[in-house]
Amino acid sequence: MARALKDPSEIIDVIQDTLPALYFVFGRAKTEEMAFELGKQWDFTTYEEKQIVKSRIKEAEKENPEMFVHRDRAMLKKLLVQGIGYHHAGLSPALKRLVEGLYETKLIWVLFCTETFAAGVNFPAASAVFESCRKWDGREFRQLLNREFFQMAGRAGRRGFDEQGNVYIQINEKYPDETGFFNESKVEMVQGRLTVSPNTVLSLLMWKSDEEIEHFLKSNFSAFQKRRLLKQTSQKIEEYQKEIENLNKHFCEEKHSYSCPLIRKKLKRELKKLKSRRYRERHGTQARIQEIYQLLDSMQKNKCKKVNCFDASRGIKDIESKLDFLKYKRKQLQADAKQYTTDFYKMRDLLGNLGYIDGRTFYPRGKFALYLHIQEVFITELIFSGLIEDLPGDVVAGILAGVDYTPGRREHVQPPPYDIDVINELRAQLMRMKVPEEHLTWSPVPGYITYAWYNGEDFEHLLNNCSLQEGDIVSIIRREIDLLRQMEKAAAENPALQEKLRDIRRTLDRDQVRVLF
Amino acid sequence: MPQATNDNIIHMDEIKSNKKQSKGRGPRVQGRNKKRPERHQVQQQTDTGPIELDKFQVKAIEAVLNGNNVLVAAPTGTGKTLIAEKLAEKVMGEGKGLVYTSPLKALSNQKYADFKKMFGDEKVGLVTGDITINGDAPLTVMTTEIFRNKCFEDIEDLENTAYVVFDEIHYLDDPHRGTAWEEAILFAPDQVKILGLSATVPNVREMATWIGEVRQCEVLVVEEFKRAVPLEIQWIDPENDLLSKTQAKRQVRKLVDKQKGSIQQLRQQHDKKKRNQTNQQRRGK
Repeated sequence: MARALKDPSEIIDVIQDTLPALYFVFGRAKTEEMAFELGKQWDFTTYEEKQIVKSRIKEAEKENPEMFVHRDRAMLKKLLVQGIGYHHAGLSPALKRLVEGLYETKLIWVLFCTETFAAGVNFPAASAVFESCRKWDGREFRQLLNREFFQMAGRAGRRGFDEQGNVYIQINEKYPDETGFFNESKVEMVQGRLTVSPNTVLSLLMWKSDEEIEHFLKSNFSAFQKRRLLKQTSQKIEEYQKEIENLNKHFCEEKHSYSCPLIRKKLKRELKKLKSRRYRERHGTQARIQEIYQLLDSMQKNKCKKVNCFDASRGIKDIESKLDFLKYKRKQLQADAKQYTTDFYKMRDLLGNLGYIDGRTFYPRGKFALYLHIQEVFITELIFSGLIEDLPGDVVAGILAGVDYTPGRREHVQPPPYDIDVINELRAQLMRMKVPEEHLTWSPVPGYITYAWYNGEDFEHLLNNCSLQEGDIVSIIRREIDLLRQMEKAAAENPALQEKLRDIRRTLDRDQVRVLF
Repeated sequence: MPQATNDNIIHMDEIKSNKKQSKGRGPRVQGRNKKRPERHQVQQQTDTGPIELDKFQVKAIEAVLNGNNVLVAAPTGTGKTLIAEKLAEKVMGEGKGLVYTSPLKALSNQKYADFKKMFGDEKVGLVTGDITINGDAPLTVMTTEIFRNKCFEDIEDLENTAYVVFDEIHYLDDPHRGTAWEEAILFAPDQVKILGLSATVPNVREMATWIGEVRQCEVLVVEEFKRAVPLEIQWIDPENDLLSKTQAKRQVRKLVDKQKGSIQQLRQQHDKKKRNQTNQQRRGK
């Protein structure tokens, strides 16, 4: 989705009295492009400030000499001196920290950033600018929620500095209908989002009593909300039913007889229809017409106040259609209320079939999976297939990087120098055993990153062998460290394996990848 | 000390004449990049000294220091963390433990660093998926997932814990990660009390009722709707004019209509072209 970018210098021209600004852009490349564009036109810092920025950069470079070398970060270095920056998840931790530090000390006047900058620590600004109000949520581009918007917009307005926080939303000339209009009084409700994962089921069966499990399945927030809704719906249904009863009081005893104007009117309408050109020639029409005449003649028209009756009967019809909808909704809610219980037993049965558990009896696989929190089944099967124990450390490091990883479209990493067919065979086998694919998420793509890193290659080597950005590489390796720690805990009964996993983890946790404080 | 004036903006000519007052921030004429720094804002801090506590903060702090389960909902940047800090002070003073959970690793790391500055290295710990520092400290910062795991796997770790703080508790709504919050609330040990910090959401009270029901306790709600600094939202149209909401809506409608019009025009032109082509073909035959 390449969209023509509007030159941010013009926008800054308009809002130059309310800087510093956070310029929210949805897309990493866009933050960089826009910062570059602005840098062509604007320079915000004084000579003294430039000196300070330069010395700060030098200081940071002392610890990480290569921080500005790759991925066109040299441009960022220039921009920072001009008081312009960008910030997104692709930056290396060191660079992120430098940019944040400069921003905090008021040396950055316009910072192009993605949503992550607002999610974290409080970095207030005088104004917030929205290049667009649509974001990629992992599946599609969608409008920001009110809550998301105000989380970001709320960064505008520094306590003790500004009388108001200025928020600017750009109207895109090509996509004007995508302009965001938000309302703080219509912030979205919080909904329960419980999902029943393999770990949830195992943990419940291992550590919680039957009552507690019942409590969990019936009292979670989503169930609680549905129960409330169900109650409201039932109340509404009752109300409507009462209303119908009340309306029925309008009718007299003769309501169903042929003296009632309501019924006479209905018959007359039918008569008119039958006499029309379309119907009169049809078979049986004449007989019906005669019948109606007889019915109408059989009784005298009741001289009641038919207006009331007509209104009431119309009202009843209205309510009945509403009632039908509510009853349908109630049925659905009742079915939904059982969903968690169904999910729970489904997962329990799957784990039973795979030989993890039998009721509350835990087999070795089940005991292992108990300490895993992502892709529990896949990891456990990897371990019990013996692959992790048999394969050399670097290959294991490579394979584990792909767990729960979905590569981006334009992502390119050098293919790993080991055989990945065994892994795919294992996954295929598990799929045949009816393990849903979402529990077997694995990709060979990031493998080379951790493979090479384990083998002692430097960060530069990684950058030269993939299209990923620094921050992504760090996040791949740190995710694996997280996973390895879970596996180590799970492998408590197998010291050799535990030692191997620990060794991989320690080898990976070094240099640029270490956590900074 | 900078002068406290309402006029935050000093234009270039003023800067020229008041060079000294504006802290030496003069117009820069610098090599290539001299292009447009003509007008430059000079920041003037209208600092009013230490910021006083807001009413809602006072209320929440009082509630929490009296040992209540509390849910606080307030806009971003209104100082919700302060409530947690006061609570941490008190809990640690009593020799008990406090767990502070946050939704993101980066946030946890940041909070850990902040707390360390405030309470000293030995008293603060950090546990996330990929790092553990001083995990037995009385004040431990964790990701919510780790706390949830402890509620199952290592419940004895939480024996001395008096309170758990859920920062950004509205993450309960997150389709992928919300589960961790729910399971943590459902299974946190009975003696652990809850302080939930949330962005403004319309159904905080519903959340409080739920927590009260599942944990069989009373949950107090403290809500603040006002921002510390009010927001002024404006729209910028393609001609770079600043618009109010109504103006912006009108402008958007205009642009959409224009677009529709031009699409229709294009379609008509296209149809005409095609008709001409077919006509010509027919004639050719």
